[in-house]
Amino acid sequence: MKETREVDVQAETEPRKETEVDASDTRRRVRRRGVEEPPPGASPTPRLPWWANPRVGLVVVIAALVALFSSARPAFLDVDLTLVPLQRDISVFVVVGLAQLAVLSLGHMNLAVGRMAALSAFAAGLAYDRFDAPLVVGLVVALVVGAAIGAVAGAIITATGVNSFVVTLALDFGLLGVVALLYDRFAGGVAFSTRPPGMDELRSDTFFDYCIGPVCGPPVPLLLPFALVALVLVGLFFGRSRNGREVLMTGASLRAARLSGIPVGRRVVTAHALSGLLAGLAGFMLAMTNGAFSASIGDSFLLPSFLAPVLGGTLLAGGAVSALGTALGATLTSVIQKGLNLLQFEADALQIFIGVVLLVALSLDRVRQVLAERRGVRA
Amino acid sequence: MSATLESEVRTRRGVTTSLHRTELVLAAVAVLGFTALAVTTQGNILQAGTLRAVLQFLAVPIVIGLAQMVVLAVGQMNLSVGVLTGLCAMVSASLMSDTGLPPWLAIPAGLAVGALVGLANGVLVVLTRINGFIVTLATMSVVSGLRYGINGTGTYQDYSPGLVALGRADVLGLPVVFLAAIATAVAVWVFFARSVAGRMLLASGGNPFAARLSGISNDRSLVVAHTLSGLLAGVAGVLVVALAGSVNASVGDDLLLPSFAAPIIGGVALTGGVVSVLGTCLAAFIVRLVDVAQAQYGINPRWVDLVVGAVVLGAVLVSQRRGRGSS
Repeated sequence: MKETREVDVQAETEPRKETEVDASDTRRRVRRRGVEEPPPGASPTPRLPWWANPRVGLVVVIAALVALFSSARPAFLDVDLTLVPLQRDISVFVVVGLAQLAVLSLGHMNLAVGRMAALSAFAAGLAYDRFDAPLVVGLVVALVVGAAIGAVAGAIITATGVNSFVVTLALDFGLLGVVALLYDRFAGGVAFSTRPPGMDELRSDTFFDYCIGPVCGPPVPLLLPFALVALVLVGLFFGRSRNGREVLMTGASLRAARLSGIPVGRRVVTAHALSGLLAGLAGFMLAMTNGAFSASIGDSFLLPSFLAPVLGGTLLAGGAVSALGTALGATLTSVIQKGLNLLQFEADALQIFIGVVLLVALSLDRVRQVLAERRGVRA
Repeated sequence: MSATLESEVRTRRGVTTSLHRTELVLAAVAVLGFTALAVTTQGNILQAGTLRAVLQFLAVPIVIGLAQMVVLAVGQMNLSVGVLTGLCAMVSASLMSDTGLPPWLAIPAGLAVGALVGLANGVLVVLTRINGFIVTLATMSVVSGLRYGINGTGTYQDYSPGLVALGRADVLGLPVVFLAAIATAVAVWVFFARSVAGRMLLASGGNPFAARLSGISNDRSLVVAHTLSGLLAGVAGVLVVALAGSVNASVGDDLLLPSFAAPIIGGVALTGGVVSVLGTCLAAFIVRLVDVAQAQYGINPRWVDLVVGAVVLGAVLVSQRRGRGSS
């Protein structure tokens, strides 16, 4: 029953895919003839001209918004008031976006991303509260718990063949209950009150507070390197590592991947474990930013987790990801949020604005793509 | 070609029988669960007051599940369904409180808002060719903002004593809101089983390519499905207004996940082409039973989420296993 269904779906999508391939082939041939050679490394997707790259559009929009906000409210460029908290927000949401990106690569979804973060943060909090663990140990605990719960999700999906949406939806329900029960049982409420040594520094310090002689660091919060490392590692994983490429192939075509000898089931588990690991990291970072390990961590992760990768040009269909785009998408939403906050917009206007920005950005993307394809075909 | 056609026909029949069996199993679970609750609570649940509360608060989950089911039928999702319920509730309450409109005008206005937002969802999906999940994610954000824009975090109450009295009234021992939900379910069933538009929707969802070859406009199906989903969310919003007696902008915050739980437990496929009105209603009832059990036994309410999660996964696993076994 499942097999026929798959065939049907492919029969339906194949014609469209074929024309797309045709168009891009023509374009590539045109380029090779030397009509318009783009500078090497100008764009990560050489099939489309540079102006059709969503990342370029994002950079332009972010720059325009920063200019707009800082001319309307000079406080937008105030280091302590705006820039440092903004960087902290961006750091957390980049990691949240990467957590979703990890499974979007398969064409899957992780609806439990917030609750995985909550469970990981609980584990770290428990380690600090009960075992007086040092800061690093709590981080490792959070990562391990996140990866484990992600792997469980991946294993259920592989073993049962049930849609990832349903599995992570059920997991979200389940973890919602589990996390609350665990906090009831072990923290006697909704949060741990213990703060491990080093947490306050990690929370509020920037590199500007650390000086070697007369030279002090830039006003960058200590949390930002966590996000940078995650970004670079995820980029390398999907761009350079064999496992990452195999995950992407699985996302592009499950059947082709299986026929090429890729252990499809194991790659699904890998991607979901990575998603859980990153969710765990995001949970840890948010707990650091908030200054408390509480049950409400991750409540607001679901929408941003999709916003960042989708704005950055990652498709839901799977098979292609952009880690850099995710970072830019997270930056854009955080900049909008901070800017509108400074302009004293209400929270509801903010939500409307973010929804409209998402729609406009995606529609423009579509327009750009169609234009680029047409131009390619005509040339 | 004929072989694939034949297997396709066989698959269809397999899907239908498996769906009937899912409905049967759900009905059995519902009856068993209800009986078990009645016995273990010494008949407490059978008392008129308790029974009425059980059915009253079943109305919104049924309608919201149907609202999600309609878009699942064409292989789409509607993430804005929960917040849209809140928006429609706020619009009709605001029209009655602030503008002083009578309920018989405010209620259609609330429904119209739902249908309009649904129409916007559908048109956006068709025009931009962006995945419906993302489009409704964006409109969810917008609608949620609009919902708070009407009255901030303030609460509307005393908008229409007549309407609230009607919402809490009984007919033949059954709550009016529950009967309204059942009437809505019957209407949705008739739409899918008997009307041409409904059959076209299912054809588009089951196999868009074949539907196009048969002269069905898939774009139209998408728009119709999203509009209908918005309209049903509007119905849910009006039911909330009539039942609750006071509404604020947080209405609908906790409806998104249940809206998926009911149809998925009820045997509706995420890939589209298959709907089960009866299954969705029974699933909503079973989820409601879990809620009631929690209240009756005084269990920590957090266990409810855990159990519902397990039920969602279990139901899908069981139907998957059976589907594999039968084909």
